Order: sequence, then C-alpha cells, then structure tokens
Amino acid sequence: MPDIILQAEELTKIYKSGEKDLTVLDSVSFSATQGNSLSIIGPSGSGKTTLLGLCAGLDVPTRGTVSLMGFKLNVMDEDDRAYIRNQFVGFVFQNFQLLSTLTALENVMVPLELRGDKGVEPKAAELLARVGLGDRMDHYPAQLSGGEQQRVAMARAFITDPKILFADEPTGNLDEENAKHVTDILFQLNKEQQTTLVLVTHNLELAKRTQRILTMRGGRLVEEKILSTV
Amino acid sequence: MIEYVIKIKRKTKSIFQDGWVWRMAWRDARHNFFRLLLFASSLTTGIAAVVAIGSLNYSLRNDLDRNAKELLGADFVANGNKAFEREIRAAFDSTEFEQASERELASMVLFSHTRQTRLVRVVGLEGNFPFYGEVGTLPSDAYSKIKGGGYAMLDESLASQYEVSSGDTLRIGNREFLVSGVVQKWPGSSGILTTFTPSVYISDAELDSTGLIQYGSRVSYKQYFKTNSDKDVEDLTKKLRPLLRKYGHGFDTVEERKEELGEGFQSVYRFFSLLAFVALLLGCIGVASSVHIYATEKREEVAVLRCVGSSGWQAFNIFFIQVFLLGILASIAGSLIGLGIQQAIPYVFKDFMPMELDFMISWGSVVEGIILGVVVSILFTILPLVIIRFVPPLSVLRSDYKQKRVFSKTRLTAIILIILFPFIAAAYQTSNWLVGIAFTIGIALALFSLAGVAIALLWVVRKFFPKKSGFVFRHALSNLFRPNNQTRVLMVSIGLGAFIIATLSITQSSLLGQVEFTGNENQSNTILFDIQPSQIEGVVKLIKEHNLPANQTVPIVTCRLSSIKGRTVDVIQKDTVDRLPNWALTREYRVTYRDSLHVSEELIKGKVHQITGRDSVWVTISEGMQDNLRVDVGDSLIFDVQGVPIPVRISGIRKVDWSQDPPNFIFVFPRGVLEQAPQIWVATTRVDDPQVANRFQQELVMGFPNVSLIDLRLILSTINELFDKIGMVVRFLALFSIITGLVVLAGAVMNSKYVRIKENVLLRTIGARTNQIMKITLIEYTYLGLFSALTGVLLSVIAGFFLTKFFFEITFSLNYLELFLIGLGVVILTVSIGWFNSREVISTPPLQILRKES
Repeated sequence: MPDIILQAEELTKIYKSGEKDLTVLDSVSFSATQGNSLSIIGPSGSGKTTLLGLCAGLDVPTRGTVSLMGFKLNVMDEDDRAYIRNQFVGFVFQNFQLLSTLTALENVMVPLELRGDKGVEPKAAELLARVGLGDRMDHYPAQLSGGEQQRVAMARAFITDPKILFADEPTGNLDEENAKHVTDILFQLNKEQQTTLVLVTHNLELAKRTQRILTMRGGRLVEEKILSTV
Repeated sequence: MIEYVIKIKRKTKSIFQDGWVWRMAWRDARHNFFRLLLFASSLTTGIAAVVAIGSLNYSLRNDLDRNAKELLGADFVANGNKAFEREIRAAFDSTEFEQASERELASMVLFSHTRQTRLVRVVGLEGNFPFYGEVGTLPSDAYSKIKGGGYAMLDESLASQYEVSSGDTLRIGNREFLVSGVVQKWPGSSGILTTFTPSVYISDAELDSTGLIQYGSRVSYKQYFKTNSDKDVEDLTKKLRPLLRKYGHGFDTVEERKEELGEGFQSVYRFFSLLAFVALLLGCIGVASSVHIYATEKREEVAVLRCVGSSGWQAFNIFFIQVFLLGILASIAGSLIGLGIQQAIPYVFKDFMPMELDFMISWGSVVEGIILGVVVSILFTILPLVIIRFVPPLSVLRSDYKQKRVFSKTRLTAIILIILFPFIAAAYQTSNWLVGIAFTIGIALALFSLAGVAIALLWVVRKFFPKKSGFVFRHALSNLFRPNNQTRVLMVSIGLGAFIIATLSITQSSLLGQVEFTGNENQSNTILFDIQPSQIEGVVKLIKEHNLPANQTVPIVTCRLSSIKGRTVDVIQKDTVDRLPNWALTREYRVTYRDSLHVSEELIKGKVHQITGRDSVWVTISEGMQDNLRVDVGDSLIFDVQGVPIPVRISGIRKVDWSQDPPNFIFVFPRGVLEQAPQIWVATTRVDDPQVANRFQQELVMGFPNVSLIDLRLILSTINELFDKIGMVVRFLALFSIITGLVVLAGAVMNSKYVRIKENVLLRTIGARTNQIMKITLIEYTYLGLFSALTGVLLSVIAGFFLTKFFFEITFSLNYLELFLIGLGVVILTVSIGWFNSREVISTPPLQILRKES
C-alpha cells in the first residue's frame, strides 16, 4: 500500500493576463502521506487555493506533476480526473457548495450514487446522524443554518471513505461556536477514517490542529513546519 | 500504464443506463418545475399552431374528396360570356345526358318594402340543377317555388342586410317577384363570394321578361351536364372541348374544380402553415434563450457535481433529460391544444369555404407535431446546454474563473442542424425545396431585420439616455439593460406578432386608399351602365334633377377581334408555335370613341387615336394588352363590330391607371367611326348624401329598369368587409406569435426573478417605497412593450412601403389610429403579463429575502 497519497513536484501555474504572464504558483513541491494532516497558510493571493485546486485535480499545472494515489493527474483528461475525485477525494468548501435543489440526505448520497452504488441511503443517514443532523435529513440547504450546511457538506465529503480530503477555509463562513463544532467533527472523522487532510486556511488556530503547516507567499512555498507526527 | 488502467475502469454509461442522471434530473426539476414549464409553453403554442393548421389541411382534403361533385353540382359544365352558338347548342342537344342551364347578369334590384336598391347578380335557372349536393333554402320549398314562376329567392347575407323575408316583393327590371325564401347553401359557393356578389335567383324562363337582356348586356351562360360515369365525362370533354375553345368558351369538370380548389387551398395552407411555423421558430428562440440562462445559472451546481466526480456528459444529461422530457410533454400538450383550436378554425374560416367542414382528427398531424416538438426541443436546447459539459470544477473555488473556449463537436453539429432545420422543415411542410429556401432566407431576413431594429432602438435609448428624468423612469429604463434580461429576444418575438398585424393593417389601408373616393371631390363615385342610346338623355336629365354632376357620359361599343397583323384569329388559334392567349383572341372587347386622352391615361408611345386620310382609322391600345396581343404602333387589326369588319391600325400605346375615374378602356377609337354602330352608354356621377343616393337609385330603377348602378362606396365597404374577414384569419395566426412572445416574456421574468428580488431588496433597504417599486416594474414593462411594438411597427412600415409599391403597385397609405391601437394592445399585453409574473417579486418582504441570501 503506498504510503504517499499526494505528491506534488515542481508545480507551476501561469495565467495569461493580456500580454503578460502571471505566475501564481512557482515550483512548489510537497507530499502527504496516509492519515497525515497538513494545512496551507499564507496571505491572500499567495497561491494557496491554486495549489489546492491543482492537487485535487480541479485544474492542471502549467509545469510540474501531481500524483494522487499514484495516478498522475496532469496527464489525464477532465472526466478521468473526475473519476479519480469520485473514488478517492472528498471536498469541504468555505461556502458549503451544497446542491440547492437536493435535500440534505440526497446531497450526501450523490457521490456514492455517482459510483453506481445501490442502497446508499442508510449510510448517508448514519453519517448525517453522526454530524448531528439526524432529524434534518429532509431539509433543503436553504432551510439549514450555515453550520448545519457545512456539516452536511462534511457528511458528503466522508461518505465515500476518501483517501484524501481537501478543505478550503471550512470555517470561514461560520461563527465561533459553529466553527469549533465543525472543526471537531472534521478532525474526528479524519482520525477515524485515516483520511489524509489538506486544509487551506487563514486561521492559525485551525492550522495548528494539523500535523504540518506549509506557508505560501508570492506563489512559493516558503516554510514547512512540522508540529507532530502521526 | 496507470492511465490505461483508469480508462478500463471508468466505464462510460449511456444516458439510458445511467440511473443517477435520471434521478438527479427529477430531483432538480422538482424545484424548477414552473420555470421549466414556462420554457415548454413557448414550444406548446408553436406546436399547437402547426398541428391546428396541419389538421385543418387534412380535414379540407378529406372534405374536398368527399364533396368533390357537390362543389360543381354537375359532372361537366360549359361556360361563356356570350350565348352558346348554334353549332355548340346542337352538340349539347346531341348528348343523351341530363342538362340544366343558367344565365346570369348584373342588375339593380329594388326591395319594395324599404324602397332600397342594390346591384346584384341575377341568376336565371332552368332544369334540375344541382345534380349533386343540394341547395339549402329557408323555407325548404323556396327553390321549387321559383321554378313555378313569379318567385325569386336571394342570398341570406343580402336578405339580412336589407331585412327581406319570405312574402316581400322585389323588383328586377320590369318585373316584380315575390320572395320565396333565402339561400343558405349553394353548391361551390362560399360566404365570402356572396358578400362580394350577392345573388337573386329566378326561373330562367322569366329572365327575358325582365327586359334586362338588351344590346350590350353582359350575360354569362352555363350549361350543366349530368353523366353516368367518369368515362362519359371524358367522352363529353373530348367532344365539346374543340368547339368551346373555337368560340372562346370554357368548361369545368369535377376533377378540374377539385384540382383548382385543392391548389388554392394548398397555397393558403402553405401560407398559414408557414405562419404557424414562424410561431414555432419564435418559441424555439424563446426556449433556446431561456435554456441558455438556465444553464448559466446552473454553472455553480454543475461545478460541484464535477468536483464530486460527475463527468461532463453526466452533468449535461441531467439537464438535457429535463428539457427533453418537457419537450415531449409540451409537444403532446401543444398537439392537444392544436386539435382543440382546430374545432374553432371552421368558424374562423367558414366564410372562405365552399363546403361545410367536418371536424376530423388527423392523427398524422398529431404525431408530426409531437415529433417536430421533440426535434426542436432537442435542437434548440443542445446548443445552450453544451456549456454545461465544459464547466470547470475549479469554479467551485473561484466563481470568477473564466471558462476556456472549448471546441465541441456537439456544439458544431447543433449549429449546423439549427441552420438546416428551418430549411428542411419548411420544405417538408410545403413539399417544395424552393419554398423551403425562400422561407429560410425570408425568415432569416425578417428576424435579422427585427433584431436590427431592436438593437438600433436600444442603441438610441442608450445613446440618448434621459439622464435628467425622474429616478423611477430612469431606473425602469436601465432595467432593460440588465444582464440576462432577454430584452432583445423579447423585442423580436413580441415585435414579430406586431409586425404581422401592422403589415396587414398597412396593406389594408393602402388598398382601401385606392378605392377611397371621398378625398377627391371631382372623382365619380357612382357608375351607371347598360344605358341604351335612347335612354342616355333621360338618365342625364335624372342626374341633373337630383342636382348631381354628370361627370362622364361614355359610349361603349362591343366588338371582337377577327384579324391581327393580317392573320385571322382562326389561323392564330391553330398556330401551335406562335401562340397568343385564347381569351385575348376570343373575348368581347368593349371599346369607346373620343378624340383626347382621359385623365387616367398617359400616352407612352406613338400618337393619340385619330383618322388620317379617307379610311385610315388609328386606335390606341392599353399597355398590358399590347403585350398580350404582341402588337405595336403601326400594326393592323380588324375588328368585327356586330358583323361589320372595321380595319384599324395602332397609333399609340396608353398607360392606364385603371382605378382612376372609371370606366377605362383597352381600345379607344377616334370619333367618326363607331357613332352609327349599336352601342350602350355609361354615365358617371358623384353622390355624397346617402339619402340623395337612395332617392336617385329608386327613381333610376323605376324609370330605367335595365340600367345598373355601381355604388363605389358599397365596393369600399365590401372590400373593408373582405379585409375584416381575411384579417381575422391572419390575426388569428399572428396571435400565436404574440402569445409565444408573451410566454417567452413570462419565462424571462421568471429567469430574472431573483435578480429582481435582490434589486428590490436593495432599493427597499435604501428607502424605496412599495409604490415606487411597483411604478418601476410597471414602467419597465411599458418600455418593453413600447419598444417591442415600435420594433414591429417600424419594420412593418418599411415592409408595407415595399409591399404596396412593388407588389400591389398602389399608393402607400398608413392608418395611424390603427397602428397606434396595435402598439397600445402590445403594450397592455406586455405590461399585464410582466406584472402578473412579478407580483411575488414585489410582494416578498425584504427580510425574507435577506435571510435567504445570507
């Protein structure tokens, strides 16, 4: 079983801005092993979200390679990357990104249904109950508070038992109490399922709960701090 | 190797195998049901129009087959505008078939109880016509009574107009007749025909006793035959055709009549089906435009689905299934509505039908409608939906992430099919490739022109934006430029309906302008014809006694051509190479003589008619007939004037404005040639006061019963009536375009609902009152309706100008009031629909929205 879940090598992303090239990510390399948790911090515009997008296969680098579970994402087409995401990746976003026309339960079921799995409802219901929303399964996102929506999003992210979970400012839109609740669930599930966690945040307190902190500035990885080992 | 493994594992499921996309389609549709229904509704109206017209065509063809013989009332009919010659009569008598005959001429009739008069078609009948079908009368014995003599029956429209009922008396020529009843149905006759030429029927034996048939009277003759089989018809046609042709008569058989009518209906059907098709195309544009906005709004959700592993096709399929299924539902609904409308169509068209229409369901049209609906819903939704396939998952992290332009075979195929679709569909509907091409070019031109006018109008509004007007007006106007507001699409689709109706109005007012005499005081509005030479003095005296001007007194001599450029008409008729139209060779020419040109004439070549030398008679010919007879200045002709040959030469060619101050003539002789020939006179006058007109007409009928009178004001009202009836049919179909436009509008309002709500919340937060928000909404739709109406009306003025100038060749004329009313109607409809769909936007409390937003 490969220990390294994610391997980024010399990742560079350049955007064209008129005549000029804009380098938003410059030769970034790092790796993440199974069950490990790391956070990426840095000021706005430092390239954190771009790095997360490339690592999750949401975009392709201009140069460099990303391997997820040994699969080289940068040589795949978009639909193959989508398949990899469905099989191995979970996401939690700052603005929750639930499907507004689906109930909480249906939102959680979607990734497994996409795989073609049958009888996924009990598992989704159990996960929703785990995040404290057992009685709100039939509610639509618009009928839930921000904290509740984020918990649904986490249930959706964990239902596939992902090998790696990418979280982009998961508490950015939440009040302190909700943020703490969500963070607790996130780390608890991460621990239970041995999921690799990659977290992008401005929140240093949150970052300190992960085992490693990568600091970005001007598109470069400027510091790596190891806080604890698995 | 890794990539290879993945390709093997990732099985691509077809849309039918992938249960997830169907589930997702349903889950998503639950929340967009009303909105999706509105998209579909634009399709429904178009399909309804196509099915209604297709079904009508089916019923028509069926009825035409079923009632073919009733349309003619006989198996064979010989007809002509002169009495059948002895040779022909002998041929008629030699057949063993049952026959009936008919003579008809125009004459005045006086209704004794009201003393009113009217020019009618007097029909004298002999024999048992019709042999097929029946004459519908009220009471039912009215027809049998006239055969006995002393009775007359008249068309129902005439009877109701002059309040005539059974037992009343009417006077035709020298004779009085008792009214036996009214005619409700006559074989082969339609309501519109009786409006134009209402008829009074009497026994043929009594026609001569009216004293109407004199020298110069224009009498038409018909001889009906009933045969035993189709073979008999063939034999009869073979036997009579050469004879009838020789003397310039015509004939008709059931097959020919069916063909003529069938062709006529086919042309009308083609025209109406294309109108219906325009409504469908508008619906398609509406659907495409709405789906485009729908797809754009779904971008974020699609990005999430892509993040959790959905492929581009899977995401696309979710929304494609929705619009595809709705397309089927809309098509079925449209087909059912079309069948319902078809029940109303016989009522709308009843005046144009020479037979009663039975309601028949054409399942073929229904299936065609559904297939058409499904095809267009696929074609016109694929293009806007394709963007869903290429939504980058990165949009989840960066909502401002710009999607790269991706080459898509699906998109390219859809564009090609959309371009080909109107061409193929129009060619299929009209069974004619040329019509298909012409229609596609025409519709593209019309839509581009409408879009051009709409863009130009909006540009003008932007350029000269009323910056200093009040806040409410300014804000409402700027709302039109809101992103995704579909203002241009709405202006085109609503404008197209307004365009069709306004163009009809312009054509109508221009045509009416041609026969509108009230504006020109010197022009005659009453023509008296069939005046015998002995009566002309008395008629002129009668005119003057009523203080009316005798504008023209014109002699008319009837004659025929016997030779052209040295070749007799017989020889020319037999010439199969250099053929001249038979009607031009054998017709009766009504010529006059004078020394000068009339006000309606202009000499375009040669000299005015004159006599030079001892026997050289030089006549002038009208421009069109010169082409038909292929003659020019200097060519010789011989006229047969009541048996006397008169050789003439052509001195000049006149351009005649036929509608100006009639009567006008094809041939004009110089004075000094025809004075002694048998002739009749025409007198013209101008009567403005209806009471004077009534008194004058009564005295004319009493004193000169054979003299007929054409009241041009009556023609004016008849043309008006005709246009009202045609207009009703065209408006009925134009309504589909307007309804489609309004459905698109309702869809557009739904699409922009959340943007509107947000705007309103913002306005309320900064202090706007409900009253102000309501005003902004109302004014916005007023602007939209106004600009749509302007788009349609402006283009219709341009189209109307070209149509009247180059197609009808008449003076362009506008009815400003009617155009204003059309515009007003469009504005009211637009505001009503817009307002109805915006109630929720206005009435939603801001706090509720702010909560939702947060």
